Amino acid sequence: MTAIEHETPGLVGARLRRIEDPRLLAGRGTYMDDLALPRMLEAAVLRSPYAHARIRSIDATAARDLPGVFDVLTGTDLEGLVDPQPVIYQLLPDQRATNALAMATDRVRWVGQAVAAVVATDRYVAEDALALIEVDYEPLPVVADLQSALADDAPRLYDGWSDNTIGGMGYGCGDVDAAFAEADVVVSKHMRTGRMAGMPLEPRGCIATWDAYTDELEIWLSTQSPNLARDLLGDTLRIPIHKVRVRVPDVGGGFGVKFDFYGEEIIAAVLSKRTGRPVKLLEDRLESFTATGQSRELEMDIELAAKADGTILGLRADIATVLGGALGTVGIGPGWLAMTMLTGPYRIPNVDVKLTGVLTNRAPMGSFRGWGQPEGCFGYERMIELVARELGLDRSEVRRRNFPAPEDFPYTTGVVFTYDSGRYADCLDLCLDAVRERGWADQQAAARQEGRSLGIGYGFHVEATAFGPSRILNLVGLQHSGFDEAVVRMDTTGRVTAFTGQIEMGQGVETAMAQIVAQTMGVPIEDVTVVSGDTMTCPYTGYGTGASRGAAMGGGSLMLAAGKLRAKALRIAAHLLEAAPDDLEVTDGRIHVKGVPSQTVSFADVGDAAYRRLNERLPDGEDPTLEERHVLDPENLAWSYGCTAALVEVDRETGFSHVHDYIVAHDCGTLVNPAIVDGQIHGGAAQGIAEALYEELVYDDEGQLTTGTFMDYCIPTFSEVPPFTMRHQETPSPHMPGGMKGMGEAGTIGAPAAIANAIDDALADLGVTVTTLPVTPSRLHALIQTAQEA
Amino acid sequence: MAVQQANDGAAAPATGTGRIEVTLSVNGRTYHGTCEPRRTLADFLRHDCGLTGTHLGCEHGVCGACTVMLDGRTVRSCLMLAVQAQDAQITTVEGLAGDGELSPLQESFHDHHGLQCGFCTPGMLLTADELLREIPDPTDEQIRDRMSGNLCRCTGYQFIVDSVRDAARRRGS
Amino acid sequence: MKPATFAYHQPGSVGEAIALLRADDEAKLIAGGQSLMPLLNMRLAQPTALVDLNAVDGLDGVRMDDGHLVVGALTRQRTLELDPQATANLPVLARVMRHIGHVTIRNRGTVGGSIAHADPSAELPLVVVALDAEVVAEGPGGRRTIAARDFYEGFLTTTLAPDEILVEIRLPTALGGAAVGFEELSRRSGDFALVSALALVQRDGDGRVAQARLAIGGANPVPLRIAAAEQLLTGATQDDALVAQAADAAAEAVQPLDDVHGPAEYRRDLTRVVARRALARAIAGGEEEAA
Repeated sequence: MTAIEHETPGLVGARLRRIEDPRLLAGRGTYMDDLALPRMLEAAVLRSPYAHARIRSIDATAARDLPGVFDVLTGTDLEGLVDPQPVIYQLLPDQRATNALAMATDRVRWVGQAVAAVVATDRYVAEDALALIEVDYEPLPVVADLQSALADDAPRLYDGWSDNTIGGMGYGCGDVDAAFAEADVVVSKHMRTGRMAGMPLEPRGCIATWDAYTDELEIWLSTQSPNLARDLLGDTLRIPIHKVRVRVPDVGGGFGVKFDFYGEEIIAAVLSKRTGRPVKLLEDRLESFTATGQSRELEMDIELAAKADGTILGLRADIATVLGGALGTVGIGPGWLAMTMLTGPYRIPNVDVKLTGVLTNRAPMGSFRGWGQPEGCFGYERMIELVARELGLDRSEVRRRNFPAPEDFPYTTGVVFTYDSGRYADCLDLCLDAVRERGWADQQAAARQEGRSLGIGYGFHVEATAFGPSRILNLVGLQHSGFDEAVVRMDTTGRVTAFTGQIEMGQGVETAMAQIVAQTMGVPIEDVTVVSGDTMTCPYTGYGTGASRGAAMGGGSLMLAAGKLRAKALRIAAHLLEAAPDDLEVTDGRIHVKGVPSQTVSFADVGDAAYRRLNERLPDGEDPTLEERHVLDPENLAWSYGCTAALVEVDRETGFSHVHDYIVAHDCGTLVNPAIVDGQIHGGAAQGIAEALYEELVYDDEGQLTTGTFMDYCIPTFSEVPPFTMRHQETPSPHMPGGMKGMGEAGTIGAPAAIANAIDDALADLGVTVTTLPVTPSRLHALIQTAQEA
Repeated sequence: MAVQQANDGAAAPATGTGRIEVTLSVNGRTYHGTCEPRRTLADFLRHDCGLTGTHLGCEHGVCGACTVMLDGRTVRSCLMLAVQAQDAQITTVEGLAGDGELSPLQESFHDHHGLQCGFCTPGMLLTADELLREIPDPTDEQIRDRMSGNLCRCTGYQFIVDSVRDAARRRGS
Repeated sequence: MKPATFAYHQPGSVGEAIALLRADDEAKLIAGGQSLMPLLNMRLAQPTALVDLNAVDGLDGVRMDDGHLVVGALTRQRTLELDPQATANLPVLARVMRHIGHVTIRNRGTVGGSIAHADPSAELPLVVVALDAEVVAEGPGGRRTIAARDFYEGFLTTTLAPDEILVEIRLPTALGGAAVGFEELSRRSGDFALVSALALVQRDGDGRVAQARLAIGGANPVPLRIAAAEQLLTGATQDDALVAQAADAAAEAVQPLDDVHGPAEYRRDLTRVVARRALARAIAGGEEEAA
């Protein structure tokens, strides 16, 4: 562990109330749509009603003539002007490019694809104008799902392609065939995870201001990744980025979908340039269903081979990721992570995993919290319980038997990754203890007496966090970096301003960063201000806020920058106190000579000596001012892990499932703010429960989305989400500052597997095996009926 | 901006196809403006009155982010027209806190980490406020039932339940 | 998601409202707006004009009249749910109305609006059909009274003429101490029902079923009374096999469609389950007295 002395004990690790809260509670937040710039216009986008069609012509005459309309933009206007939307993950060998512009030009490939955009005095008028645009479509045969996309005679989404795939790849280690040959048991399943989306309560949006006289492009963007957005604006608009400024208002939830880079950013920028006005472009809720990245959908054939004692010998898997009509920003990234995480927390010596990316006439896939890991966990955690079931062994014992021991770390999985540290068996026990404390077994027995079906399921997950080591990510295929830069400045009065590239979108960045900086510096937390959300004034973050990297990467880089600044402050203080820096300590926000509290200076004295009254006070050789910078580009990812337990009741007659109780035991190394960590895991778990039981983007045979409102797309409410019980253990990361690991996605990962396992457990006498997510009432009803008939 | 603080002008008859005059009271202050009949109350509050604390999360009445109090009862401001709020007394989230002081309910949310991104929070607060006026000492089940018309995508709800329960305690003591 | 333009009228009387409807075929009534406003925001409804009933005098209120609870069409759902006369005389109302959306929706949504919107998954249409209520409509020729079972014609369709306005609902309160069983299955709290069942069972001094009523919502284009089930149970004592038969009759009677929540046959199966559960509960004495 990089040693950082904590000068203010207790701040890191404290359950502090959030600094962000008061203004948000008072209704004083400033979210995207709360911003209005002088002379601003509002835009709206016309979207394809067809999943697959040729655009014969677009007539926007009537729209242009509508009073209040300033401009209409179509896809052909963008040709030659901008580059295709970027795909930052090039993971597959010879990965095919879909090269989609921000708007369709001659052909639409999913319902909701942007076809034209109107900019007008306000959104009402802009929507009026959309209704006046006439598009002549020639419908084409629709590739509605995976099976039809892979059929030999499938219509091709892209002319000249031999099939509808963008490519494939695999990883392996050991001798899988031999492992399967010598196994006592082999369990095989075909599994499917449904399509869903991050669906933050605030939809996406931006305001672009492109000044034709200065050529400056300023864009307010509801994004998780301002530096990435700035670079991609430059790439796509073909402009140098020294005059591009991305600013981020309050973000009403991101969950990955606001990590990605969308065509609307380009549309708004071009419309602003053409009209000479700031242009606000928000997606509304209906648009958000098809205009914003969708996630999760894949199918996998998975096989696990084990010895009679439960020791896993080998894993085979073949994953098909169901992509949309074009590649989104992250391409096949989530599918790739699902594949590479399929060994989960287990020692599996022989592995053969494969991945194929398949295009369909559905909306493009993008990022969503968990990013392939919930899908992977659904695979490995279902299979481990099925192996235990097949062998008649206790499922916890089978897990335990296959965990790497604490002394096995760093543990190399055989598929790309090396886990840094872990005490998996302890974490499992922590979860099992909580299950015992809450009396689930008794509840289950009592329910059986009453004829009710209550099941207990577990999902143990490993999570890739603190993303990540730039060169390794580049080697794998990421066309961007993973480091974080941080700047910490002390002012003339001894107060501290911390600058980060991280973005606050609900996860308490401001509070957590302030805790880290205050503790490292030894100043009161009230004396720390955290600044973020502006590429002009804030440091560069390679990846932004996502991939469970905020605290570990943003916080870690700030911790190291603050450590440097503290050292400089102590050198100045030492000069003022005529002592050696090593003889100083900081307590209660003041610097004094160890053991001599009366020999003391304040940070304000240091600030004054560094900025204002320097003579004889600032040591020779020290530059004036107090500012330090640190770039953290770690050697590895940090690997958090946790064990989820779910208590689920199934109504056998109706197929309805309800989660009654829920426990997560978790280890993300050093906890910065346990309240925030709990809140993150609760929220992620709710999304995981949604994935397991409630939310699904259902497409019909014509490629139409049939769950495109909050009426049909069932985000769970207070009544569906259970109470949560949390348990923590802290196993520091050996290579991250402060031993911190990330955890932002943790809650999503173990949930689907735990719930599916609980449903199987509730129906154990029937031998039902859940293989498709979400486990909707009608799907489960069908499974139960089939089992009962058998 | 079409809205100004009203003096004493009586509104024009609320009928017709053109712009219509609207006078309503928000958080004790009278606002007067003109708008098209189609303007939703939410847009009027946000863009004409400048009260952007009321948020739009779905504009079809499911998420609850736009919840305001209208004549003492919660309503979805995305499911009303501004012209229908003529002469109404409205409370928005901006009316809950006074002079930099959070209300006990807001304090409870602050203490219990009852919000993350804050987008659903205004609707949560107004719904909880109505709940606590009707059921001063609710059970967790009652809280979950009564709040279930407000979606939160961040918190997983547990800490909001804790916040509301604690607010009830504070109000009771 | 902003509405298209429309003219706005705020009549002060039912007569004025009728005249406005007659003057414009494309005009639409709005009361609570909890179903119409989403359609306006999505531009799925684009009326030329809205005729807003909210300022019409005398359209709201709850009163007892000749063995009926009479509810003005403009009465807010939440008001009826909490109304002392309603809770005293017809407690089944509050029991079922708790399932309409959420309090915030019921604060604004009107009783008449929900009944006239004729969503077969909605609770109030189910109640009026189960209770043999009457709806009173006013048109250019005056008022007429329509039996609830004759009111619903199809999915979102009633027998109201385009220039007729639903003005009040008359709910008989003389249910002879019938016990209530209500079951509703929805994906989430507050969602429309996948299927709902409302059973009212009145027993004589010997404990035999004097009268049984069963209505099913959500599984059929209109809320449906299951006559076969009602006949089966009349005269019966508590008999699980008979209840199961009655539930089968309900499952046979409904005409569900495939939808995003599952195939039609699934909904038929759910109908059987909720019918059986509602009937069993009512026959066992009910959740609470209906009247």
